[in-house]
Amino acid sequence: MKEQVIRFEINGEKAEVYADPTLSLLHLLRSRFNLIGTKEGCRKGECGTCTVLLDGQAVNSCLVPAGKVEGKKVLTIEGVTREGALKGKRVHPLQQSFVEKGAVQCGFCTPGMVMSAYALLRDNPSPSPEQVREAISGNLCRCSGYKQIEEAVLEAAKTMQEKQG
Amino acid sequence: MPVTKKTGVNSETGIPGPAYNQGPDVWDKVTGKAVYGIDLQLPGMLYGKVLRSPHSHARVIRIDTAGAFAVPGVRAVLTASAIKNKPYGIVVEDEQPLAGDRVRYIGDEVAAVAAVDEESAGKALEAIKVDYEPLPAVYDPAEALGEDAVQLHEQYSGNIAWERDLERGDPEQAFKEADLVVENSFSIPSVHPTYLEPIACVASSDYMDNLTIHTALQSPDVVREIISAALELPLSKVRIIGPVMGGGFGGRVYGNLKLYLLSSLLSLQTGAPVKMQLSREEEFSVGRPMIAAQIKMRMALRKDGTFLAREADIITDNGAYSAQAPWVSKTLSERNDALYRIPHIRTRARLAYTNKVPTAQYRAYGNQAANFASESLIDQAAEKLQIDPLQLRLKNCTRAGDVTGHGLQIKSCALAECLEEAATRIGWHNRKKNRGYGISAGIHASGSLVLNQDFRGASARAVLELDGKVTVFTGEQDYGQGTYGAFSHIAAMVLGLDARQVRIYCRDTLVTPHSQGALANRQTTIGGRAVQLAAEDLKKLIEEAASEMAGQPVKMQEGRLETASNRDLKLEEVARYYHYRTSGLTLNGEGRYVPPPSAYDETGYGNISVTYSFAAHAAEVEVDRNTGALTVHRIAAVHDSGRIVNPHAARGQVFGGMTQGLGFCCYEGYLFDKGRVANASLADYRVPTAMDVPGMEYSFVETEDPEGPFGAKGLGEVVQVPVPGAIANAVADAAGSRVTELPLTAERIYRAISGGECER
Amino acid sequence: MSYMVAASLEQALKILHEKGGNVQVIAGGTDLYLKKPLPDLVDVSSVPEILGICRDEGMLSIGAGVTHTEAAASAVIQSEAEALAEACRRVGSPQVRNMGTIGGNLVNAAPAADAAVALVALGAKALLVNHAGSSREAFVEDLYAGYNCSYVDGSSEILLRFLVEPCGQGMGSAFMRFAPREALSLPLVNSAAFVRLRENIIEEVRVVIAPVKPAPTRLVETEKLVLGCKPGEDIWRKVEYTAASEVEVRGSLLRCSEEYRYHLVGVLARRALKKAVERALNRQRR
Repeated sequence: MKEQVIRFEINGEKAEVYADPTLSLLHLLRSRFNLIGTKEGCRKGECGTCTVLLDGQAVNSCLVPAGKVEGKKVLTIEGVTREGALKGKRVHPLQQSFVEKGAVQCGFCTPGMVMSAYALLRDNPSPSPEQVREAISGNLCRCSGYKQIEEAVLEAAKTMQEKQG
Repeated sequence: MPVTKKTGVNSETGIPGPAYNQGPDVWDKVTGKAVYGIDLQLPGMLYGKVLRSPHSHARVIRIDTAGAFAVPGVRAVLTASAIKNKPYGIVVEDEQPLAGDRVRYIGDEVAAVAAVDEESAGKALEAIKVDYEPLPAVYDPAEALGEDAVQLHEQYSGNIAWERDLERGDPEQAFKEADLVVENSFSIPSVHPTYLEPIACVASSDYMDNLTIHTALQSPDVVREIISAALELPLSKVRIIGPVMGGGFGGRVYGNLKLYLLSSLLSLQTGAPVKMQLSREEEFSVGRPMIAAQIKMRMALRKDGTFLAREADIITDNGAYSAQAPWVSKTLSERNDALYRIPHIRTRARLAYTNKVPTAQYRAYGNQAANFASESLIDQAAEKLQIDPLQLRLKNCTRAGDVTGHGLQIKSCALAECLEEAATRIGWHNRKKNRGYGISAGIHASGSLVLNQDFRGASARAVLELDGKVTVFTGEQDYGQGTYGAFSHIAAMVLGLDARQVRIYCRDTLVTPHSQGALANRQTTIGGRAVQLAAEDLKKLIEEAASEMAGQPVKMQEGRLETASNRDLKLEEVARYYHYRTSGLTLNGEGRYVPPPSAYDETGYGNISVTYSFAAHAAEVEVDRNTGALTVHRIAAVHDSGRIVNPHAARGQVFGGMTQGLGFCCYEGYLFDKGRVANASLADYRVPTAMDVPGMEYSFVETEDPEGPFGAKGLGEVVQVPVPGAIANAVADAAGSRVTELPLTAERIYRAISGGECER
Repeated sequence: MSYMVAASLEQALKILHEKGGNVQVIAGGTDLYLKKPLPDLVDVSSVPEILGICRDEGMLSIGAGVTHTEAAASAVIQSEAEALAEACRRVGSPQVRNMGTIGGNLVNAAPAADAAVALVALGAKALLVNHAGSSREAFVEDLYAGYNCSYVDGSSEILLRFLVEPCGQGMGSAFMRFAPREALSLPLVNSAAFVRLRENIIEEVRVVIAPVKPAPTRLVETEKLVLGCKPGEDIWRKVEYTAASEVEVRGSLLRCSEEYRYHLVGVLARRALKKAVERALNRQRR
């Protein structure tokens, strides 16, 4: 398909790119913006490793046509890291607690997990364990059994609440 | 006396746990910076794609590649006739890089292309014309073993890729004398490791045919040798560098050899780096699942519950090519016999070729399949004898000091304690109404010695850097299971340093010590022991150099170098002293761990492992009698993995392994439509999601094993073994009848409840 | 070929008109890559007329562009169209629910589409407008042309809204789903029911089941059975039997056998209907 200009915001910065608008946002992020933290595990919306936030909502970037992001805001794992860094830390509290709680093993699901968790905490700053499990239910993890991930998200929620309070 | 400890706490071993279970790349992983195989890009890189057979079995009459060459951007097109196509294999040499005159399954590699981008490579594939003459195919392994069956490989007559007949004691007599004989047939489908990152590689080469393959493998040194032999390239010209590994679970021990060979051939031909990657669909349909098994099992018992004999007739489904399936079949058919004292054993196992996806290995190596069968059968016997299933197991379970029927020497074993603790944790003696309870035991080799009988151990180097920090060079692999965290911890303990001062260098066959790799639970037991020895050697060398430097004896204690006259030397001073004195060398500790001689024969039968890990799991489930829907409420896991060196990593292994066991038991399994994989997607091959995981708890009964580093034994594989038996027995308890086919779907459970009928 | 994001209905209709049928309307686009090849696309997900949930002359008016997440979280839908909230909550995964729209769920015409099953039970009508600007109304179940094939012509027509009668006094709805996994899973069978009670007698009823035919299927015989009845324990056994008897289902390798699916049809229809009745009774008491 013919390339066209797509203007959007990526991790807080304005971006303008000529691209085939029917290619996936995942493809756009990885091949045009070198944002390789967004992973490709299935290309069919069945694994969640490509999860990013589109206007604040977790989506499978492999299922989003690039044309759809016109005028919208995209946040990837790199943006989350930067958000943490801007606050004087190396990483975002979610990333910190993922490491501390042992929620990172092979790490391939991790960026997508962090993004789903980020979206959850944005809408629901103190979720229950059930709500955490539901929020990450579109993100497969084969290493952890999800337990440490759930703990990490709950811990991050606590940390972030304390900071707010 | 073993000490029982609460969840993950490890205060009594005296071994301080590292803060986190992860290796040094954890921050890269959590920020998305870690580079995996799928992320790799090299300058001038081409993209490779494979043309695959649409037939289960066919003769290849003609391949016309002219159209492919005409596609702009195409740089190479390979067919069997255009390459040497030397046969290769892991146990039996039944594969070639490309199918020659015959294809044996849907997906068999017929041609490969390299082009400047994926799109052009795809177009080139479409332009290749292949004429096939379809042949009759065989899909059922039992049928494949029949007399008139279609033959897949001329050199393996009767479609038998591997077989074994074993008899220990006098099973025939034992069955005659038994008070009770129970029997059943069990069916276990093929399962895929389902690592989340699809396999990807980039092969690059230079004009001198030096080949570098960038891909994440559990056993890169072994794969390197296979590639060198298959391509007839001198070994020194083949190097494998590993990016970060997106999960392995046995599936990346040898990964996808076809992909590495084809990308190498395409790179050698074009001179450019060539990237190849499996799609998720290809992962399922041409990747390498673990063998399916049909197990017919009989047990003989005395009235008082004493096990007398066991007999098993096992047929495993190899698919079209063999890989590690013979080894998996062997473990599947033998290991479980060591879990209980069974004096008389007869086993017949046959691995059959069929026109389906070739197989390989998966975490727990078929042991979990055998567990499902044998632990189900034990509960059948318990019911008949009116003996509590826990008591029946306690009466017969293997104990420390035993030599099992197949000659396994059990040096440490807390299985009985594990069983009792698991039962207590699940509420075995205090059951809830409307719930089902089941218990099951597991054993797994910890540090298998028979992968290469001449190369049984491991080695490592520990180097004192000029800044006083230590780098450990290892050929072992970490795909998130915590190996590198454990290694830096082990080296740090020996040297009295903080684990953060120890760096691990890995994943480069040119530089790192060669290894058998991350399999058979040998990382901690064997690899960790080598690291311990290397660190001890380095400590000795540091003390020697420091003594020479100080002109008086120096001891290294708690990371400090102290002279007899109480003067402190800094590590970096000693490092630099030695460096200058030797004109550039560094202090270089070497560790080699060669396990003690062990009694096994040339077929790898006997005491095949350094030591053995044990576990017992208990499950609490609920079954909806109207639909058969299963809710697994809780699983309690109690493990004897010796001393727990890294409690954080252990925790990750236990929860992850239990969840994979749950998947194996309740959700996963290949579905075939004749030869086609019908569920080749993550939507239809269902691994558990976060909402499917039950309450999980665990504890360790820490034994003192004489072999492992600090008495540690493997954990990563055994943790999956008891899950299917525990859940299946709990389901039988809840439903009142037994399902003998995995996975335990709602439909199967409902049919068991309703006596096979689906009532309207 | 192109990808156009329509900012207004007027603009979207203009594009459809100009393209004369050589174009495809998309909303969430979650199924886009499953269908090939891609034609020109008009993205209508920002068109105000297809967004939001509001009341319109006593009816609930639900935009076709409302996502599953929005529908599941909507207080109005949760309290006055429970079946739809329940159905939307169980689709795929959070990511898919965030993108996928109710309208897309219908137009995509998958036989077991959860939201569509609920909409049929709720007696929903769809409001459509074509490129010439003329609008039409249709019952949701009448928009299915075949398996994965809709009468909504995505090249010339836009599905605007759904109109649903809110559950008031004596009314109740429910949705049930039987899937092999708690998330990321298509159902083996799903069912939705709606009832209106008067003095404990079932005065109006719709029971819907899928996947049976291309469209969510009304269980006409089962509805007849319970209509005019006072629901009590004696009836549920008959509901189960009748529901399973009046449909023809198929087994599939990936899901379950034909026999078991018949059984599930009965169980799910009973459970959905029973739940709907419970809710209606609760509303009667209030």
